[in-house]
Amino acid sequence: MDSLVQENGDSQASQADRQKDRSETGAAIEFRSVTKKYGSHTVVENLSLTIPSGKITVFVGPSGCGKTTSLRMINRMVEHTSGEILVKGQPNTESSPHELRRSIGYVLQQAGLMPHRKIIDNIATVPYLKNVPKKQARAQAKELMKTVGLSEDLANRYPAQLSGGQAQRVGVARALASESDIILMDEPFSAVDPVVRADLQQEILRLQEKFHRTIIFVTHDIDEAIQLGDYIAVFATGGRLAQFGTPEEILREPADDFVSGFVGRDRGMRRLTFASAQNLPIHPLEAQDTPWQKWQLKIKDGMPAGWETEGRTIPGGSLFVEGGTLRDALDSVLSSPSGWGVVVDRQGKAIGLLNSDDVLDATEEERYRRYGVA
Amino acid sequence: MNIFEKTWLFFTQDGAWAGTGGIWQRVAEHLGYSGLILICAAVIAVPIGLLVGHTGRGENAVVAVTGALRSLPTLGLLTLFALWLGLGLTAPVLALVILAISPLLAGVYSGIAAVDRVTVDAARAQGMTESQILFRVELPLALPLIFGGIRNAALQVIATVTIMAYINLGGLGRYLIDGLAVRDYPRMVASVILVAALALIVDLILSLIQRAVTPATSKELS
Repeated sequence: MDSLVQENGDSQASQADRQKDRSETGAAIEFRSVTKKYGSHTVVENLSLTIPSGKITVFVGPSGCGKTTSLRMINRMVEHTSGEILVKGQPNTESSPHELRRSIGYVLQQAGLMPHRKIIDNIATVPYLKNVPKKQARAQAKELMKTVGLSEDLANRYPAQLSGGQAQRVGVARALASESDIILMDEPFSAVDPVVRADLQQEILRLQEKFHRTIIFVTHDIDEAIQLGDYIAVFATGGRLAQFGTPEEILREPADDFVSGFVGRDRGMRRLTFASAQNLPIHPLEAQDTPWQKWQLKIKDGMPAGWETEGRTIPGGSLFVEGGTLRDALDSVLSSPSGWGVVVDRQGKAIGLLNSDDVLDATEEERYRRYGVA
Repeated sequence: MNIFEKTWLFFTQDGAWAGTGGIWQRVAEHLGYSGLILICAAVIAVPIGLLVGHTGRGENAVVAVTGALRSLPTLGLLTLFALWLGLGLTAPVLALVILAISPLLAGVYSGIAAVDRVTVDAARAQGMTESQILFRVELPLALPLIFGGIRNAALQVIATVTIMAYINLGGLGRYLIDGLAVRDYPRMVASVILVAALALIVDLILSLIQRAVTPATSKELS
């Protein structure tokens, strides 16, 4: 009983925070009873949703839930059947579709670059459409290449010469070039490999810290939603909005069976994403004994290079980057052959070790903190 | 003397090339007719191909029409039009325009339709108008296939323009029809060689133009 009260108290507080947050920054996009039908088939049903400005809002759900359709209704790539969509307070049907689209950045799943245009001209697509002088548009595009972490050498290449990850960065740069406050991203990272995806996700968070755009991001990957979203809208099959809230709220109190099913069995693990690991003690980088084996961390040029035991070298587990979450910490100790997680700084240099007992204790503490019962 | 030696004599006799009725005049006539026919066919086929390729509407009709046009016998059409419209340029031009529409339409339509829909979707989502999508994205990317259609049409027209001589017009077909009338086989062989050579030269020139106007999509090509 106690825990329930606590839980409700928490959620009211954070809901109030959220309201405050929203009224301060204002709504960027508002869906008012929006329905989309193809013939008699309803794809999005009576969607009412306010998307706060300057934040990342993630539309997540299984395929066929209407999340992409909802995204595409914002810039009228799909016309809604009934209801109203307000973009910065104005119904989106007020201006012509192409004017509206030029004012909203759009990043596609498969990058969608123009194969016959050089990278720099692809980035400058919208400025060209707005008749910005070519020289100025190109200078801005070059600047944006730096912003999204692309080498300037690529400026005069063609899209066919880029890797999937590079192409997506160009796609992001192109959306930024529109200089719009609103950027739509339709599963932008689902076609790249997991390592590149993780890089791109970090890049988005880094860019967002700098630019504070309103980003609406569609994904079917709940982990990606939790990692990127300030807010998450969970869509259920049949185009119904099942829940809207912060990632923490959605993991803590799923609105219904659909949402709890969708956020899945790893919910407990995912929640550790919101717990800081800053109180974990970092042990010095010396030979560490486990009760049954002696382990020595090998270091090459300051970087961890596996664990050595009884003359054998075993590849190390995941690394815990300073300032990471409790989930990262837990993963580093679970995946390490020695049971010791390796802490690295942002340059990848090994700076210390995490003890698995400390990490498990921290997850326990996190649980107490959350529910208030020992 | 065999037929090839006699044909050689035809090409090398005095006055074979220059002057009225000479080879150069026939080549000029042949090219003139072919150009006129291709332009007329393009005026009809290109806009329809662009529209159908871009909108995706009327695809079935285009496939049916190009198939049907292809199977029409041009000589039969020429006879029909000549009986109907009388002798003169109109009847053969009409018959040959019908011949040329089919490859042109197929080339333009399939070129536009083959452009990756993701690219088109992206162009639209960035805020291009429909005509900007067509002329800045779809058309440049469709150029290789469009040129395929043009070259195909040009080859067919140049080969078939010979039949214009059948109703007393000029062109390289003159040698074929006249040679047949007087059983001058070397002259007929010369006609065939000239038409084939002309078709190959025109195709070569078109391929060079194609290479020049096709946009690069990678550095190797540019």
